[in-house]
Amino acid sequence: MGDKVSDLVLSLADCKQLLGLRYAEWCSSTPTLEADIAAAAMGLDDLGHSRVLAGCLSELGPDPRGPERESDPAAYRNVAFLDDTWTEWEQFVAANAILDTAFTVLIESLVEGEVEVLRTRLRKMLAEERYHFLHGRSWLNELGPTASVDQAWREAVEWFGPDGGELRRRLAGKLDRPEPKFEVDWSRWDPIRRRVQPGAIDADTFAMLRGLEERRYGISRAEAPARG
Amino acid sequence: MTRVHRSVREYDVFARKARVDPLRHVGRVVAPDDDIAQAYARATYDEERWVEMVIVPREAVITVTAPGEE
Repeated sequence: MGDKVSDLVLSLADCKQLLGLRYAEWCSSTPTLEADIAAAAMGLDDLGHSRVLAGCLSELGPDPRGPERESDPAAYRNVAFLDDTWTEWEQFVAANAILDTAFTVLIESLVEGEVEVLRTRLRKMLAEERYHFLHGRSWLNELGPTASVDQAWREAVEWFGPDGGELRRRLAGKLDRPEPKFEVDWSRWDPIRRRVQPGAIDADTFAMLRGLEERRYGISRAEAPARG
Repeated sequence: MTRVHRSVREYDVFARKARVDPLRHVGRVVAPDDDIAQAYARATYDEERWVEMVIVPREAVITVTAPGEE
């Protein structure tokens, strides 16, 4: 695809971390108890995948993570669909069916690719992602076409990039439905964040990712009781 | 529990930890189709590292003997 593989893997890791958090936010708000449990399980899966992907970076050349990630939410390389908490169930379903599957399509191509560390470490994700796919596709069929599906699909195509034709075909093939009609303005595409839309993750989520909330409520060294 | 699906089926879930074990009944899930039932079964009954898990639509189960029968 021409991109540096470490940049691509970091974007995938960031997307999976945010996807896992957004799933987890819904783990007591879905329409059924079973879907609540599935949301929690899928959230844990994707947070785990993110950690594995981030762990691969040390073997892929210079680490693309700079100090700006500590202070700038726009340093995160996630698709815009994951910037904010989803307020509607149809957004959850669109992310689950379209974006999660798009990430899986890329993982499949990395597992089939030539980078050994990715070929071996990413394989297990595909087994877990099978359940995410079955869950997302069934709910997608249940809800039918929505504006969220079109939006998620557009962002998946942007995330694949201008040379992502084969990945787009695979995504539509897996979902067994045609790609919605839209035009992407590639002149506005950010090749590092792999998105067209500006913006960034919300302040609360960013603070949580940076561990700021834990620090605020944690015991500081001065307050901690002295050990005898 | 809220039910949003037009129709749902009940599925029995069976699993085993090792190949030498028999499959045993571990629980049930309610789902609108076979695909989502698999996702629910896997998410709900993940307390062990199962080597095998299967689901069976409850309506496919034929009772031969039941508790309380003479």
